[in-house]
Amino acid sequence: MTAGPLPVQTTQQGRPAGTLYRGDTEGMWSWVLHRITGVLIFVFLLVHVLDTAMVRVSPELYNETIGTYKNWIMGLGEAGLVAAVLFHALNGIRVMLVDFWSKGTRYQRPMAWTVVGLWVVLMVPFLIRHLSNIFGG
Amino acid sequence: MADEMTPREKVFGTDDPAKAGASPASHPAADAAADAAAPSNPPTEAETARDGDGNPPQAQAPAQPTSTPRSEPVKAADDASGAAAVEQPVEPSPGEELQARETVVETQKTEEAPGTVPTFEVTLRIRRYIPETDTEPHWEDYRVQVHGTDRLLDALHKIKWEQDGSLTFRRSCAHGVCGSDAMRINGKNRLACKSLVKDLNPDKPITVEPIKGLPVEKDLVVDMEPFFQSYREIMPFLVAGGQEPTRERIQSPGDRERFDDTTKCILCAACTSSCPVFWTDGQYFGPAAIVNAHRFIFDSRDEAADMRLEILNDREGVWRCRTVFNCTDACPRGIQVTKAIAEVKRALLTRKV
Amino acid sequence: MSTPNAPALDAPRSPYSRTKSTRSNYELYSWVFMRMSGVVLVVLVLGHLFVNLMVGKGVAALDFAFVAGKWASPFWQIWDLLMLWLAMLHGTNGVRTIINDYAERDTTRFWLKMLIYFAFVVVVVLGTLVIFTFDPCPVGADPSLLPSFCQA
Repeated sequence: MTAGPLPVQTTQQGRPAGTLYRGDTEGMWSWVLHRITGVLIFVFLLVHVLDTAMVRVSPELYNETIGTYKNWIMGLGEAGLVAAVLFHALNGIRVMLVDFWSKGTRYQRPMAWTVVGLWVVLMVPFLIRHLSNIFGG
Repeated sequence: MADEMTPREKVFGTDDPAKAGASPASHPAADAAADAAAPSNPPTEAETARDGDGNPPQAQAPAQPTSTPRSEPVKAADDASGAAAVEQPVEPSPGEELQARETVVETQKTEEAPGTVPTFEVTLRIRRYIPETDTEPHWEDYRVQVHGTDRLLDALHKIKWEQDGSLTFRRSCAHGVCGSDAMRINGKNRLACKSLVKDLNPDKPITVEPIKGLPVEKDLVVDMEPFFQSYREIMPFLVAGGQEPTRERIQSPGDRERFDDTTKCILCAACTSSCPVFWTDGQYFGPAAIVNAHRFIFDSRDEAADMRLEILNDREGVWRCRTVFNCTDACPRGIQVTKAIAEVKRALLTRKV
Repeated sequence: MSTPNAPALDAPRSPYSRTKSTRSNYELYSWVFMRMSGVVLVVLVLGHLFVNLMVGKGVAALDFAFVAGKWASPFWQIWDLLMLWLAMLHGTNGVRTIINDYAERDTTRFWLKMLIYFAFVVVVVLGTLVIFTFDPCPVGADPSLLPSFCQA
């Protein structure tokens, strides 16, 4: 385990706060989003395994559980989940290219914009399909 | 070993400015590299270009210290009328663009008539902390008159010399070589001596803060010891066994090129203190230490690569790098820091240098 | 780098030493695992999402019969099992990294980690049991809720 309380925390957190660090636009925000989407997906995964486990109890209980998901609020939540998964997957590929491809670090910025582009391209057909499913009944 | 790491910059404003005389700046990197016979690096084209817009060019010009056209910038003085020339979009190939920008930068420094240099007022919003009187840091605004050719360091000097002598910051060479005056300017880590005020969006207050993640001692001065501790741990010196040769240790240009980028480090801590992983608990070795390890790991004359790799295989080592690229963005020398870290990671995976 | 007025300052981190070096390849393997499992998960998770949300009537078609129909085939059983294990390992390791980064005290760090390891064990054991002991045609259930192949 690491060393105890650090002076870094006490002196840096004085009020009024310092400015937000304006780092590498593509690299830093990709990383921030990767973290946030990762945590969101992990939390969903825990819930998802538990609700799917209801199939083991009885068909009625599972259908009841899944029934509570079948409204437009949960539908939008599912859209958000897919958005998070897609970003995490695409950016994960970018991270691997940065790690293993010798030119990866040089092209990290175009790759970050490619991730955004592919994300949009994949989200559009999904949203058309999914939103018509949840709103069209 | 700790002796060679004694403070290398004078700290302004601590006690008596007059007493803070020139201490012999024994630079750790210089000591370390002395045996390695590394040529000192004059700023390359790519580095100078950073002054222009603050962004490193995507395609780095290969660091060839010899090819910098330093001699003929004065010619452009006739047609370049002050700052306007800088804004001229220079579209052609990256190489030409860099040259053009450099010429403009040089022009402004050699301009003789002060009347032609634009003068304007700026507000500097400086994060102050004086341990004797303050319980916590606070922001303070200063209005200063600066010229179009002034760097942020000049503005800080003006404040210190004309308005508020208690303002404290480090600086030494004032030419982007000693690495003393890294600070957070408009939210980004930059060297105050390499940032022209006119490039910092002077219409709005320019924020100046100490670098993040290291304990603040006073105003813009931070305790660099954790930073140098990491640096020491990666053994920043040549380890070569066997009989000491009577002549220099021979190395092919190709072998020298392998680690050329990482020899440029000036240990200013701009990279390490831009790293979100370093901010969290300061235990991570940080980009600067890894860059300096890279400089020896990939040196064909060095024999301790395995030992250095083992040190960086630590829980706080290279694997904590999350490729955020803030370090590459912050480096005032244009070092491709994230690339160097990736190379160390790959060397660890294959155990091949 | 000590200054004469040291008492007024925060005590610098003392001694400036990193916790004992770990001398193991644990972080290396965990780093490699994140990338390898990531590649596999891209295929598994996107395939899973596509089949469940895009094909047929999409999310509206999800019910017991749909799940039972899928898990009647060993292909989907193995698919889901692999996905469960890899995703849980990948996610737990990711959250472990985040805890390491942001937890400030060792005790907080320790208990947060225990919490996610506990969640990992519960979810993985539960999920694995469900996939292996699942009966698509449970005795005595309402036949209208079951997949069509249960009639026979």
